[in-house]
Order: sequence, then C-alpha cells, then structure tokens
Amino acid sequence: MRFAKSWIVATKDLSVFKKNRYILYSLIGLPLLMGILIPGILIFSLQAESAGLTQAQLTETANMLINLFTAYFVIIAAVLPTIIASYSFVGEKLEKSLEPLLATPTTDSELLFGKSLAAFIPCVGATYIGTAIFVVIVDVWSFTELGVLLMPNPYWAIIIGAVTPLACVLSVEANVIISSRVNDIRAAQQIGGLVILPLLLVMILASTSQIFPLVTLALIVSGALAVADLALFYLAKATFKREEILTKWK
Amino acid sequence: MIETENLTRKFGGLTAVENLTLRVEEGEVFGFLGPNAAGKTTTVRMLCCLISKTSGEARIGDYHVDREADCLAIRKMVGFLPENVGLYENLSAYRNLDFYGKLYEVPDEKRRENIERLLKLLGIWDRRNDNVGDFSKGTKQKIAIARALIHEPKVLFLDEPTANLDPEASKTVRDFVLELKKEKHTIFLNTHNLDEAEKLCDRIGILKTRLIAVGAPTELERSLYNRKTIVHLQAVTAQVTEAVKQFNAVKSVREVDNKLVLDMDHPERDNPELVRTIVAAGGDIQYVTELKSTLEDVYLKLIREAKTQ
Ligand SMILES: Nc1ncnc2c1ncn2[C@@H]1O[C@H](COP(=O)(O)OP(=O)(O)OP(=O)(O)O)[C@@H](O)[C@H]1O
Ligand SMILES: [Mg+2]
Repeated sequence: MRFAKSWIVATKDLSVFKKNRYILYSLIGLPLLMGILIPGILIFSLQAESAGLTQAQLTETANMLINLFTAYFVIIAAVLPTIIASYSFVGEKLEKSLEPLLATPTTDSELLFGKSLAAFIPCVGATYIGTAIFVVIVDVWSFTELGVLLMPNPYWAIIIGAVTPLACVLSVEANVIISSRVNDIRAAQQIGGLVILPLLLVMILASTSQIFPLVTLALIVSGALAVADLALFYLAKATFKREEILTKWK
Repeated sequence: MIETENLTRKFGGLTAVENLTLRVEEGEVFGFLGPNAAGKTTTVRMLCCLISKTSGEARIGDYHVDREADCLAIRKMVGFLPENVGLYENLSAYRNLDFYGKLYEVPDEKRRENIERLLKLLGIWDRRNDNVGDFSKGTKQKIAIARALIHEPKVLFLDEPTANLDPEASKTVRDFVLELKKEKHTIFLNTHNLDEAEKLCDRIGILKTRLIAVGAPTELERSLYNRKTIVHLQAVTAQVTEAVKQFNAVKSVREVDNKLVLDMDHPERDNPELVRTIVAAGGDIQYVTELKSTLEDVYLKLIREAKTQ
C-alpha cells in the first residue's frame, strides 16, 4: 500500500468537505457546543451543591462529574463520521464518481484508506478541540475554586487517547459497509447513527458500575473497540472492492 | 494493442458478453456498436480492469486483465471515459483534473502543462476555477474527456462520448477524437450514433452479446448488397429495357417509375459502356447515380437477424 496515493484521495475528500456547509457547521458546531456546554453544566451543578460540602467532598463530586461527561466526547467522535462519511461514500456513489476513480492505478485498499482517513481526521480533530476547551474551562474553575488542576486525569487520557479514535474508526467503517446498501445520504446517516447505541450503553454502564476502577474499565472498552474495529475492517475491506462496487452496490 | 479471445462475462444467469474475440491495432479507432444491453459497457469495464471476466482472455498490450500486477500497469496506460461523467461537482474543473493527474502519477510540471493544454483545447481554460456543478452537460463531458487524457494514455476507452450532447457539442467532441486519431492514440469507442461511428472509426464491431460483424465501415456497407446504379430516364421504353437486359455486365434490372435500378459487380468499369448502350437505344438520360446501403441498413439488418436467431 502506498500512503502517498491514499493521501491524494484524502486531501481531495477534505477539500470537498470544506465546501459543504452542512459538514463544516457540524464539525465546528458540535464539538464547540459540547466543549462549552458540558463544563458549563458541570460548573453550574457544582456551584449549586457546593454550599454544604467540604473541599474534599467538592473535589470528589467534581471528579465524578468530569469522568461522567468525558464519555460524551466519545459519542461526538462516533456521531461526526456518520455525517461526514455518508457524504464521502454515498455521496460519491450518487455522483457516480467511483467508476473513474476505480479506473486509476490505485488499489482498493489505498482508496478505502484514503477516504477513511479523510473522514477520520476532521472528526477526531474536531472532537479534540472540543475536549481541549472542556479541559481548559474545568481547570480554570477548579484552580480558582479548589486551588488544584483536576484535568487531565488518567481516565480522560485513555478515553480521549484510545477510546475516542477507536470509536471514530468504528463509525467510519460502519459507514463504508452501510454505503454499499443505501442510496440516500440521510438514510446512511440514520443507520450509521445506530453505531452509537452500543457505545452509549457501554458508557452508561461504565460510569455507573462500581465493579472495576474507571481506568481499568476504559482500558477494557478500548480493547473491545479495537477488536470490533478489526472485525469491521475486514468487512469494510471486503465491501470496498472494485468488482463489488461496480456490480453489487445498488 | 487490444486483444480478446472468447471473452465472456456472466451476471448470475445472464450472459452479458459471450465469446468475444477481437483485435484492435495500435493507432486504430475502433467503434463498438450495439443495442442497449448489448454488453458494450461490460466489455469496456473488463478491458479497463474494473470488473472481472467469467472466462476467456483479454490483453492490453502485453498485459493481462486478470493479473493483479498487470492491472495497475493497464490502468496506467489506459484512459477511460465512463458512461456517467462522475466529476466532483463541488470542485473546480482544474481541481478535478489535478486530482486525477496526481492519481495517475503525472509529475507536477507536466500535470500543469497537460491541464492547461487540454482545457485550452476544449475552450474551458477561462472557466477552470468554476465549480463543475455550474457547467452544462456538454462542458462536463468535455472535462471528463480531458480527465481521461490527463496522463497521455496510449489507449483510450470512450463509452458513448457524445450521448446527451447537442449537435454542436457533439461535433466538438468528434473533432477532438479526430485530433487524437492523428496523434496515433488507440481508441475504443462505444456509441449508438452510426453516423459518428462511420465518420470516426477505422473499423466497427457490432455486438449483441456476441460479436455479429466486424469490419471497416465501407466493407460492412458493401456486405449487405452490391452497390447499385440508378439511371433516371425521361421515360423508360421497351427498347431501353431490352438493351439493358442484353448488356452482359448487368446482373439484374428493376424498373421503378422512370428509373432503372441495376445491379453490377464493377459499375466503375462498365457504366460508361452502359450509358452509351442506353443512349443508342434512344433513352434520354437525366441522371446516373449510385445507391449505397448505409451503415444503418447493415446495422438494422444484422440486429434483426440476431434477434430472430
Ligand atoms: N452489475 C450488473 N448486474 C447484473 N447485470 C448486469 C450488471 N451490469 C450489466 N448487466 C447486464 O449486462 C447486460 C449488458 O449491459 P451493458 O451495460 O454492458 O450494455 P451496453 O451495451 O453498455 O448498453 P447501453 O447501450 O444501454 O449502455 C445488460 O443486460 C445488463 O442488464
Ligand atoms: Mg453502456
């Protein structure tokens, strides 16, 4: 596989996204909103409860809420690709631009990797910007109120460093598979959105269960996602074959 | 340059192309005619390494379409205009071509040169930065043709290049193909336009799942029936008819109104004598013309025959 080839495809896709207002607004809006809204809610609820609490109790509550809200960024990283990748794969299918693309001296894997990369980069990038804002706001608050920096913490680091990109990859791969069966961008987005359901379930269980320490839990979730990614990778690769695209994608 | 042997492609129970054996020489313009669903697009897709064949052989140059490594080489030396233009509507004409130039591994400098040359040739250079979505169908088709040529391919596959174009745009495209022919490109042209095939192609193949005829346009036209000579007379008299029937070279005579329709093997050689004979018999000749069967006649006849088989 030649990475340069994939990169040509990825940069083309990125310039297409740049011209699509819906994609652009989603990429900027969603993480920005979450980056401000989540710490806003967090701080507001802490301020409301802080009256009867000791410093230590307040810190503990804050940490609990931080960990709870950190998981939301995984959801963003999984939702954004359903918006972008549906344009990238179903969109290209509708424009009938896959056939000339497949006629170039590029392998199926190079094309698939390039297109996936183009969906992955902006989604993870936007999520990271959102979570960076979250961290900064929380720290400014905790430093002024408690005199300590509560973030980053190890749980957050694993969620953002591993779980978020893995969830994003899962979502992109799911979209490739969905694109082979669906001829409508909206439908692809809706079906793609289902990917977040199991994630959501895991996240809720993770943040409420007391069986494992949070960090262990985050590691287990990463491992499970990595396995799911690998499985879907083979499925996506089998779906994204010249022959399949030209004769079976309807 | 392009060679197939018993090339066959099936889709489930449906045979799209059956035992196609064909040879297209280097520098030749080959026209592929056939009704809808004849298998023209399927053939081209197999030759461009886009879909696999069910059986048989196909080669472009020395490369085999069923070898993974050869396929990359084939795609590199082949330019392909698909049935649907498939351009990126939200990107400019220039960006579209630039993207494909990069994928075809055309070096930066060369790529800029080629894009400029092609877009100028097709009269789109001034609008190179406009989004493709803003262009008319004909202009999009031209951009797609430029895309197929961006890497200066030796072999060009054009799948219905003038479908959906107005007469003027069709002519631009056709003239462009003639230019390419001068530059010795090997061109494989799928078309429904018989006139176009006749004007552009050195040889024509007629496909209906199987190849039912192949040859130069003039050969095909003659294959239907001999050229006929028509003599328009002031009036057809018994003496004239008798004199013509006595004339050795004439194989058959038919009288239609004030015309005689004559069938001969060598009209160029025998017509002068024939005219003298008619004049001697007292015939007043108005015109002498040639009746040729057109490619359309041949095409329709062959397709009808294929249907009844
Ligand atoms: N992916 C596919 N799955 C099933 N059948 C197919 C597929 N692609 C083509 N066919 C069938 O193969 C036959 C040949 O189709 P093809 O597109 O090659 O015809 P064509 O000569 O290009 O027709 P047209 O002039 O309409 O473009 C048709 O009967 C078509 O329905
Ligand atoms: Mg066709």
